[in-house]
Amino acid sequence: MRSSGYKRFVWWLVASVAVMCVPFLTDNGFMLKILAKDVGTNALVVLGLALLFGYGGQVSLGHAAFIGIGAYTSALVTMRFELPWLAGVAAAALVSAAGGALLALPSLRLRGHYLAMATLGFGEIMHIVFREATPLTGGFDGLRGIPSVAIGGFVFKSPESIYWLVWGIVLVALLLAYNVVALRPGRAMRALHGSELGSQACGVDTVRVKVQVFVVSAALAGIAGSLYAHVARFISPEIFTLHRSVILLSMAVLGGTSSLAGPIVAAVGLSILKYVDSFVPGMPDAASTFLQDWELDIYGLTIIVVMLFAPGGIGGAFRSLRQRFRKKAAPDPEGEGVSAA
Amino acid sequence: MSLLAVHEVTKRFGGLTAVDSVSFDVHEGEIKALIGPNGAGKSTLFNVLTAYERPDEGRVEFDGKSLVGMKPHRIVALGVARTFQNTQLFEAMTALENVLVGLHTRSRAGLLSAALYLPWTLIEEKRLREEAMRLLRLLGLEDHAETPAADLPHGLRRLLEIARALATGPRLMLLDEPAAGLNTTETQALANALFRVRDNGVTLVVVEHDMGLVMEVSDEIVVLNEGRKIAEGPPRLIQKDPAVIEAYLGEPVDD
Repeated sequence: MRSSGYKRFVWWLVASVAVMCVPFLTDNGFMLKILAKDVGTNALVVLGLALLFGYGGQVSLGHAAFIGIGAYTSALVTMRFELPWLAGVAAAALVSAAGGALLALPSLRLRGHYLAMATLGFGEIMHIVFREATPLTGGFDGLRGIPSVAIGGFVFKSPESIYWLVWGIVLVALLLAYNVVALRPGRAMRALHGSELGSQACGVDTVRVKVQVFVVSAALAGIAGSLYAHVARFISPEIFTLHRSVILLSMAVLGGTSSLAGPIVAAVGLSILKYVDSFVPGMPDAASTFLQDWELDIYGLTIIVVMLFAPGGIGGAFRSLRQRFRKKAAPDPEGEGVSAA
Repeated sequence: MSLLAVHEVTKRFGGLTAVDSVSFDVHEGEIKALIGPNGAGKSTLFNVLTAYERPDEGRVEFDGKSLVGMKPHRIVALGVARTFQNTQLFEAMTALENVLVGLHTRSRAGLLSAALYLPWTLIEEKRLREEAMRLLRLLGLEDHAETPAADLPHGLRRLLEIARALATGPRLMLLDEPAAGLNTTETQALANALFRVRDNGVTLVVVEHDMGLVMEVSDEIVVLNEGRKIAEGPPRLIQKDPAVIEAYLGEPVDD
């Protein structure tokens, strides 16, 4: 047990160092900003969806709404009340979490497709609220001039500092999520996914677990929304659409169930596609235009191919690689968890 | 005093009375079987006893506390565990993890304490894994600890569900047709497992079709027919009871 937790921590540390070193490898500020504002925030939302969908087995087609709730809340708190960003992001997490608790209610009665429809409805309602509640949200025009992220006296202005802030938060969230899924609460989520009747027979309060996992995933989306708002410094309803929700969920699906690293890799890979020209220097214009024009089709096709040939997604591929490696390294019939006893 | 007291329980579905004023007691340390032909009301009664259904009339008391109207997950904490006719295992999880979920009510790590990996959560986790392995060994599943439940053969799946139920720390375990779909060898392994569970201080109520198993393991049998209790007693007497023979067995069972 201790050894597997230790191994996980070392992997996390290595990955973290690699991720945090990216700004030293490039002086392309535009790219770093995209990696933070678009790729990093998506990764944070998808981490929450990985818990919700990949562990808890609950589907949401409304998560863009939580990003929006977080973004607008944080913008309003910092602009109207002139409070610091930390207050904004805390409010964003709280209000989004409350929205998550609200969205958990239909999940207590609905499953599968029906739950997907209910969450989709929630996302659409919130999209209309963002558009129509003009006094609060600025309507179609959105909100401009949102202050930059600042902690204490330090203002996150340079692309490097923004990158480190966003990815620092993603990596810390990943570590906390790893701990959760390794222990009792994560098992309760997977049990809920496996069999609701069986979970109840184990004394798991399924209502509580569902609400918890919706709240956590919504709060992560809310934090992502706050980061986005204060880095982009402009938000409008068209950023928080059903289209976004679908793409986020497909990243979680592609990443695989019962995996955290898989969905994050999927989030990074699919989020970068849109900006492929600035990441691959010397790529012919025709190729990058093709990739951008066909972005959605590439998403769809990738998901179909993955589901057909590797239904475990990226996480499943990781697992089978690890098993193959372990078998070669040491033909040990006992698994990892047992050896610690 | 009896561990489980069932007092004049009645359950109706529309015009049909599925369970009609049934009473019996289950005493600590015994294995009690609940038998009856198809449609006798066994499953309905089982669901009432495990709080998955609410009776229209009557009382169900466990250790003096009423189970009527309780949430199914709450009675687990009181010490009442169950298994399912169609096993409800967590297929994607290993046998060990299935049993670890069974230990849910006997552990406390929550979202926050787990996220922060507080030292006591790790101590708890180590204790849980040792306990889960002990239970797997008790049911002879220790070699399959790391096997996903979905990959286990049917007979072992039944045993795993019993191990998981045992993990909740029950005083009473109710089993819904545990021998359904098992071959003779597997049924014998199941019978041995039931004895081992009982020897661990757990009282058992078994709803079962397999007469061989019922006659072998049970101390007492309750026979239902058309929703009513028609006989109650030790296997030897039940086999000779004319009402039972007429309603259910058709002819006396050989010893």
